[in-house]
Amino acid sequence: MLPEWMSESPRPFARVLVANRGEIAVRVLQAAREAGMGGVAVFSDADANSLHVEVADEAVHLSGDTLDQTYLDGDAIIEAARGCGADAIHPGYGFLSERADFARAVEAAGLVWIGPPGEAIETMGDKVSARLLMIDSGVPVIPGEELAVEEDADHLGVLASAAARVGYPLLLKASAGGGGKGMRSVSEPRALRTEYEAASREASAAFGVGTIYIERLLTGARHVEIQVMCDQHGGAIHLNERDCSIQRRYQKVIEEAPSPAVSPEIRLAMGEAAVTAARSVGYVGAGTVEFLLSGNGQFHFLEMNTRLQVEHPVTEMTTGIDMVQKQFEIAAGLPLGIDQTEVKQSGHAIEARIYAEDPGRGFLPSIGRLVTWQAPVGPGIRVDSGVRQGDEVTIDFDPMLAKLIVHAPDRHAAIRRLDTALADFVALGVQTNIGFLRRLATHHSFQSGSADTGFLDQTPTEELSGPEPDEGTLIAIAAAAQRLGVDRSRADFTEAVDEYTGHAGDPFRTLRRTFP
Amino acid sequence: MEWSVADGASRYRATLEEQEGGVSISTLTRDGLEIAPPDVLVSTDDKAGRLLVELDGRPRLVHAAKSGDSWWIHLDGHSHVVHFHEQGSAGLSTNAGSLTAPMPGTILEMLVKQGQRVREGQALLVMEAMKMEHRIQAPKAGEVTKVHYEQGQRVDMGSVLIEIGD
Repeated sequence: MLPEWMSESPRPFARVLVANRGEIAVRVLQAAREAGMGGVAVFSDADANSLHVEVADEAVHLSGDTLDQTYLDGDAIIEAARGCGADAIHPGYGFLSERADFARAVEAAGLVWIGPPGEAIETMGDKVSARLLMIDSGVPVIPGEELAVEEDADHLGVLASAAARVGYPLLLKASAGGGGKGMRSVSEPRALRTEYEAASREASAAFGVGTIYIERLLTGARHVEIQVMCDQHGGAIHLNERDCSIQRRYQKVIEEAPSPAVSPEIRLAMGEAAVTAARSVGYVGAGTVEFLLSGNGQFHFLEMNTRLQVEHPVTEMTTGIDMVQKQFEIAAGLPLGIDQTEVKQSGHAIEARIYAEDPGRGFLPSIGRLVTWQAPVGPGIRVDSGVRQGDEVTIDFDPMLAKLIVHAPDRHAAIRRLDTALADFVALGVQTNIGFLRRLATHHSFQSGSADTGFLDQTPTEELSGPEPDEGTLIAIAAAAQRLGVDRSRADFTEAVDEYTGHAGDPFRTLRRTFP
Repeated sequence: MEWSVADGASRYRATLEEQEGGVSISTLTRDGLEIAPPDVLVSTDDKAGRLLVELDGRPRLVHAAKSGDSWWIHLDGHSHVVHFHEQGSAGLSTNAGSLTAPMPGTILEMLVKQGQRVREGQALLVMEAMKMEHRIQAPKAGEVTKVHYEQGQRVDMGSVLIEIGD
């Protein structure tokens, strides 16, 4: 049955398959439920007991050992949608979200694709064609030189001469990369070969394509991106900017909106450039145009992400727009229903990505069982989580466990709320970056809003590590806990065994407690 | 029972004292030498996984959970891990000259050969875990005396990868 809001839709759908896992699958599946639709999850063997399977109305198993055989197998996913009566597919981010051929295959199968047209994905996904299109459309691009290096070709000579022309330091990017994968900075010629090979391998492992792109590395700039939203009727607006300058090895760590470095004039100019970029490629749905913003207010096009972003919640908090719901409406052929002047900017929102990694060991991924997982709650606190207590964190997937998003009237209040919420985030059993995020949130460069994209990689680790705890105190607490038997096993029961009847979940228990 | 904190090398032994209202610590040794015990009184909270800890006379709620041979403790907004060891068991790093895998993963590239001399900090091999590449560096200068794995092999956390002699 179609939900009420879709009654005017030219392209209605009622059951959405989410071709993803982790927090974004949970987010989209819940949005589908809220919108009155059915939600279908897909899962590999490693995910059989994962949270996203639990929140779905139905879950379809993808058999296979590797990502290529499961979450990256477009045919199997379309087959799964057909098999369970899903009439739309939402790709989330990563995985198949930016595969033009998959977008086309979904449409060809008669299903609704909740994303941009294959053509737009293709043009923007190729960094060279995207750059040429931006130059044609009058959107400023990063100074440097275009060069695409095909894998398996005799690449090193071509690469070295292009690198010499572009100049060091430079950036090697996998044309099909993203999320920090397949991206390497090279500061001197002798590192070129090893970094190229690493970037190429990472890109082919993560995305199935191994093409590399080369450009000048701009230092001292901020990463500012504009969220755009376009419908199928030519309507295109932007939802202001997000600042994602806090990155480690090109992996975003903290994102916020609005940017402390963006004035109303810059916002206007950047917003217009982003909408121009989106229109030039015939964009439909939610997308992000990334820019590098220099200290003098100049900005340059970096790339367009043709999908929902990990950091979309900070835009949702400050504009009050549910972006996944909007994606559904746009895919169903409905108009945007909001014009640029109606886009609000309310307060300040910050997102911190919670990773299973050990900052004390060079941020190596950490694995184990989440014996305790208690996310913070309270006004202005949102947690988009892909895990729950008791889950096993393995090496099979990306180490991001959850996202903590806070919203407050202004930036300083938001930072205080972030730090407090991080302090209340109890994640035990696996090393996480929570303590590191707290030190980051209270670091003067972040507090003053002056940190650029080089901040995290250039700041000595001592500045971001706190005072060492008193070991004696920790030993005392652990020894006492061992003696007192404060074990997790008691909490493994959803209900404690009743002392009176000796049963768990006894129906008379509440009665006895209420009337002793 | 001996204890250590996170990656720390020090070994602790503690004697507990049960008293009214909880457990306190009466003696504490670090690597065999007695040190001043902290002023801590620990009691159970009615919620599983939580303790009431009075530290220097100030009470606070602490989360504690056991996983394998470790206790994870959330104290004052930060998480810590404490390991316990059966008495007399070997230390965490059994051999300072061997290099163990810091995580489970796949060997992407072995950059050194047996017999090769390496300098401190030199990249020895490239591992992949969770879709990201990690370079494993030499903890000290020396000669590679043994290479245990080759390219493409999967390794478990803690597996000895390479041995380095002087």
